[in-house]
Amino acid sequence: MRLSAVKPIALVMTREIVITTLLLLGVSFVVFVILYFSPGDPFSVLLQGQMASEEARMGAREALGVSPSWYTQYVSWLVNMFQGNFGTSIRTGLPVLGELIRTGINTLYLTVGSLLVTLAIAIPIALYSSVRGETVFTWPLTMFAYVISALPVFWLGYIFIYFFMHKFNVFPVFSGTGAKFSWLYSLLPIFVLGIGNGTTSEVIRYLRDEMGRVMSEDYIRTARAKGASVWKHSFKEGLLIPVTEMIAAKIPFILGGAVIVEQVFNWPGMGRMAWQAAQDRDFPVIMGIAILAAVFVRMGSMFQRVVYVVVNPRASQE
Amino acid sequence: MNRKLLVLLLTLGMISAVSFSADAGSKRDGRPDGGTLSYGEYGRPATLDPVTSNEMISLRLTELIFNGLVGINEKQEIVPELAKSWKISDRGRTYTFFLRKNVTWHQKEGAGEAKLFTAGDVVFTHKIMMHPRTITPLKVRYEFIASVTKIDDYTVKFTLKRPILNALAKFSFKIIPSHGPSNRHFLTREDPFAQSPIGTGPYILKNVTADREIILVANDNYFKGRPHIDKFVAKPFADQNIMTQALMFNAIDMIVLVNPRDIPEIQGDKRYVLQPYNALSYSFFGYNMRNPLLRDKRVRKAFTYAVNRKEMLASFFNRQGTIISGPFAPGSWAYNLAVKPFRFNPEKAMALLKEAGFTKGSDGIMAKGGKKLSLTLKVPIEKESEAVKRVVLAFKNYLKNIGVAIKVEFKEWQSWKEDVFLEHDFDIIFASWVFDDSADISSLFHSAEIGSWKNNFGGYSNPKVDSLIVESKLTLDHEKRRTINRKLHALLADEAPYTFLWTLTNYAAYHKKIRHVAIHPYKYFSFADDWFIPSGSQK
Repeated sequence: MRLSAVKPIALVMTREIVITTLLLLGVSFVVFVILYFSPGDPFSVLLQGQMASEEARMGAREALGVSPSWYTQYVSWLVNMFQGNFGTSIRTGLPVLGELIRTGINTLYLTVGSLLVTLAIAIPIALYSSVRGETVFTWPLTMFAYVISALPVFWLGYIFIYFFMHKFNVFPVFSGTGAKFSWLYSLLPIFVLGIGNGTTSEVIRYLRDEMGRVMSEDYIRTARAKGASVWKHSFKEGLLIPVTEMIAAKIPFILGGAVIVEQVFNWPGMGRMAWQAAQDRDFPVIMGIAILAAVFVRMGSMFQRVVYVVVNPRASQE
Repeated sequence: MNRKLLVLLLTLGMISAVSFSADAGSKRDGRPDGGTLSYGEYGRPATLDPVTSNEMISLRLTELIFNGLVGINEKQEIVPELAKSWKISDRGRTYTFFLRKNVTWHQKEGAGEAKLFTAGDVVFTHKIMMHPRTITPLKVRYEFIASVTKIDDYTVKFTLKRPILNALAKFSFKIIPSHGPSNRHFLTREDPFAQSPIGTGPYILKNVTADREIILVANDNYFKGRPHIDKFVAKPFADQNIMTQALMFNAIDMIVLVNPRDIPEIQGDKRYVLQPYNALSYSFFGYNMRNPLLRDKRVRKAFTYAVNRKEMLASFFNRQGTIISGPFAPGSWAYNLAVKPFRFNPEKAMALLKEAGFTKGSDGIMAKGGKKLSLTLKVPIEKESEAVKRVVLAFKNYLKNIGVAIKVEFKEWQSWKEDVFLEHDFDIIFASWVFDDSADISSLFHSAEIGSWKNNFGGYSNPKVDSLIVESKLTLDHEKRRTINRKLHALLADEAPYTFLWTLTNYAAYHKKIRHVAIHPYKYFSFADDWFIPSGSQK
């Protein structure tokens, strides 16, 4: 790559990283404060099963060496985090970072996979309807997309499981039994989340509008008049950029859906861990998940910015 | 439903020491060895050692991995375990245990020679348990022990602060090895031992997979003889419906606690055995005596008469339970069968409210002196809350019929606990107690237990109840204690500090290929070393 091509990317990346750092600070602070002031005490999970007196509760905090004020707790958490130490789970005593990586990979697999499913459904419909306009085919396709977008993901999950079990007689729940083809089961939650994350119709509409807008641009008309490939001229502006924008915008929604899909399909991911941690007020874990989720979201947006700059290097000056 | 609120002490009849011996090696009982049992758990265990763990999933696992000095058999009698015999002296203040020789600790792969279990380990376990920096539910239960001394490698002496009834049963706490924890003084959840424990029990923890399945393998050197089943696998589930379906599709062989809703489905399938086991728990509506309207026992009794518990149990739980009349679990020896639960009788309820001075207002709500019987019911949201929702909505309707307005507030577990145990901000709650001692209810109704984070959340205070509780605690005579508890039961049934509801029957479900299954009502796997799978079904 020539330097002139790398420079705008580097510029954008630097800017994004600075923004991300500030954002993570903000996220961690807000989450911490909410956690601290929400009812419930993370240490009471340790005392469950005994008649926990006030002394026992204070004793538990003392034994764990937790400082009483929230800001010292926060600062020490922050200092540790910058050294790569996310602390240990109050519930299990396991290091949070290791758990995050283990479950984060599963969740990434689920979200990226389902994003691809969403796009695989949305892009053809969007392209078809933007190129052909309103036809007898586009209307039902769009309707179909709206209907599946409206289906709640937990319901869809149960319906799929029901059909697989009672119609095909297989048990489609992810489990690392190592049985033959058991990995195929993992495609099902990806598929369910892909169509059930509620964003398909929006993605279609956005892509269709963007493509339609580009199609009516003068330069497409010129290309058409010259006999050049319309597709080649409209691809970047009409498809690539809108798709990356959609990916960046929809990651939070898909992460949210993943929490539910992971419950239903017994998927050992971050969402399930978040659910458990929230019940236990296991704040090191919750903070870790919040940070990682924020990183995922920012990664999506960074990816979008980079693509945008690659397509249009001048944008880095903006 | 069975949210653990409280665990008290396990007491059992005192049984004299019987010494029996079984050498390590095969059990030689003619039953086949081999096969794998994978069982489903709703959730994941926090830790796997017996000291820091405090929930049921861990408790069940530690039952497979560890042993106590004494254990109990299927008839609930105390039997020797790591101790082969014992001597009680000094009028019940000294307990001397003579330990079994040649018991080895589990050996991790690649480790050196297996270490022997000795008296040092017993002393070590007690020291770790009682250390101020160890956070464990066991500490409060073993405060009665004044000191532990090692007499020799196979003799250990416990001195009690005072003689207590059924102390022997309390020596069933699990022994951990002195070479186990990396910190020799106290145990925290961060200690590697909490996740990779070493015990003496029938099963050895092999590993925890990336999906958090826990793999246990048979201990060939188990002192009671090698367990029959080669491998136990604990699989965590995040959804109870899916767990039941996993059983139906042979992805697992056993569910330790079946969701009541799924009982009919499993019942109708000949491949499975549905085995009931008694739970020492019950559900109730608890009243806050800080509300002057509820301080009148006639009002509380009226509420109890107004609800049709039989109907609720039948329609929401398929009749899988027993309606109770008083503060003990029906499986307990302290339960007074002569006291019958109040029968559903809305007319009587109305009469009681009238007697208490309430009259119906224009809006249909009963009131007295300008104060309406309009109350807040706080309900914790649980993992599986559907049945709970139905129960509280039915309660609301039943009370509406006698002119009481109930506002139901569902609260997230932790904040519910703060409202109830700290702020005491409620009129009525719906909850369950789970006991591991069926007879000790002192913390629930004694007036000394009123306060922040104490179990008498309703602020119930009655000198008669207090004195009966104290009397029951002080007596060392089992029969006398039984009589006192029966009196206590009758009194509290009439006082109705709670509307006692029911004990639900727990069900385990398992594939019928697993044989000779006996289940301990609380610890579950106590007899699992005798379970077996016929050779033909081992796969």
